[in-house]
Amino acid sequence: MSKFGFWLQRVTQVLIVLLLVTFGASLLLRLIPVDLATILIPNGSESEREILRTEIGLNKGPIGYYLQWLGNFVHGDLGKIYFSGGTETVSGHLAKAMPRSLLLMAYTQVLALSVAIPLGVISAYRAGRRTDRIISNVLFVMSSIPGFAIALILIIVVGVKLAWLPTLGYATYSEGIWEHFKHMLMPVLSLSFGLIATYTRLLRADMIASLREDYVTMAMSKGLSDRRILWKHVFRPSSITLFTSAALSMGGLIGGAIVIESIFATYGVGFEIFVAIAGRQYISLQSCVAVIALFYVFFNLIVDIGSGFVDPRTRDRRVNV
Amino acid sequence: MFNISKFTKPTWLSVSWLGLMLFLAVFGSLLPFKSWKFVYENDLGVVPFSPGHILGTDNNGYDLLVSLVAGTRMSVFIAITAVSLGGLIGSALGITAAFVRGKVDTVMSTVFNVGLAVPNLVLALALVSVLATNVDINQAVPTWRRVMVLIISLTIVLIPILGRIARGATLSWSGRDFVTAARSMGMRDRKIIMKHIVPNVLPALIAVAFLAVGVVIIAEASLSILGVGIPDGASWGGMIARGRNDLEYSPHVLYIPIIVLAITVISTNHLGDVIRASLDRRESKV
Repeated sequence: MSKFGFWLQRVTQVLIVLLLVTFGASLLLRLIPVDLATILIPNGSESEREILRTEIGLNKGPIGYYLQWLGNFVHGDLGKIYFSGGTETVSGHLAKAMPRSLLLMAYTQVLALSVAIPLGVISAYRAGRRTDRIISNVLFVMSSIPGFAIALILIIVVGVKLAWLPTLGYATYSEGIWEHFKHMLMPVLSLSFGLIATYTRLLRADMIASLREDYVTMAMSKGLSDRRILWKHVFRPSSITLFTSAALSMGGLIGGAIVIESIFATYGVGFEIFVAIAGRQYISLQSCVAVIALFYVFFNLIVDIGSGFVDPRTRDRRVNV
Repeated sequence: MFNISKFTKPTWLSVSWLGLMLFLAVFGSLLPFKSWKFVYENDLGVVPFSPGHILGTDNNGYDLLVSLVAGTRMSVFIAITAVSLGGLIGSALGITAAFVRGKVDTVMSTVFNVGLAVPNLVLALALVSVLATNVDINQAVPTWRRVMVLIISLTIVLIPILGRIARGATLSWSGRDFVTAARSMGMRDRKIIMKHIVPNVLPALIAVAFLAVGVVIIAEASLSILGVGIPDGASWGGMIARGRNDLEYSPHVLYIPIIVLAITVISTNHLGDVIRASLDRRESKV
């Protein structure tokens, strides 16, 4: 198959998956055993509910409802949040929440990578020795501790006992860069904790494999310094796997961020979902899930295409996926 | 798969810890405790290792050891049920898809991809919150219904994860010579699957199932923290969620379930790794 045909097939696959995910979400909504309009506006009158039903297409049957939702979604209308009287739109909320979530993720990735890269290089260099064993064991324990546990312990120790950092809320850049980072530090630490372990283990395994390559023996026999070989000849090819996995972990990060964002009340997309569930705003929930799935799937696709360009070796590996 | 003589110290520790948790889950109700909802009115927020309350009490006056035993029962029950159901359904679908190939495989793979296109927790959250909806917002959903909904949702989350593993493993085994030989001898497909595919796929699935137990325990706790899991504290996640209220004055209420949960997840992950490592060794010998 031609290269173009391959990518066309991948993109079609992704679009089909997205359509099915969103259809599944809207079908799920229609499965609620009680009347959706009553849940969305519990204090509204029957005539208001009737208007709502026509407005969002609840009177149309599952497929009609989905098509109307999809049409609106494509045009950027993600529905409304009704508990505030129906004046606030989901897209307005997301426009505010999305940058915060993206910042949170960017900081998390930067922190996780900047700790994991040196650790991974050291433990690959000292593979099997004491340093490596200690790092590996500590990381194994770290990878098993969930982020919310770290978050709660940080709140107790750093937030309450020492009172160094605020335990709730978010500050924008305009409220002061120092305030901004003070609010972000604990969420970022809790999110990056598990990632550091994952990245280090991955980099270590990949670098140990690279160290066995002939060109490393060649470089060693030329008398290049260990440091130069490690960074220039071994880290560079291995880093592709690392960055691919970092990009792929964005999806999991969105999921993990829901708990962390709701614990710290960082008003990101995860917190938006939390609010939608607590306030039973299921239209908002449906649209938020769709947006997250959209991000997630397209991220994977971009990584897939991108890594094929960067490292041609990976292209052949994915025949049966 | 399990070579007891080769167990290292951490492996023994993990096995004993999980054994203890299983024991508490199964026989916890036989221990001479009062109900975990019994309120010790004179002992509010007692620290651990106090006389009468080994693990202390929380600010509501619940004894934490008793709560912990009740919580273990719930968390272990949810984890084991969800992983067994998800494993059974997922592997049945995955093995069939990979063995039959063709259209069935395309449909199954698409279904798995749809499930995997939404992050685990988002999927579980959406399912739980929608399935456990009451008309009246002030009326609480009964605990048994919440438990059912949690198990169903977590099972649905696990099916594509475990199904894809089963599919991949089956693909790598169904092309081997002994399968071709069995087929050429006229063996029925069903018998080939049961005799030749399942025994070979099973170890890989068990390794992943151990990891999945950890995932489910964490997911249950996360959902409870978000307020859609077990609300009134009858599980590890529920204890953590309730302990957040006492965070300032009695942090031990939070530490205890967090530590127990973490050790359990460390143990299941470790055992999963041990099984996978022994599989890799066996594979390299083949």
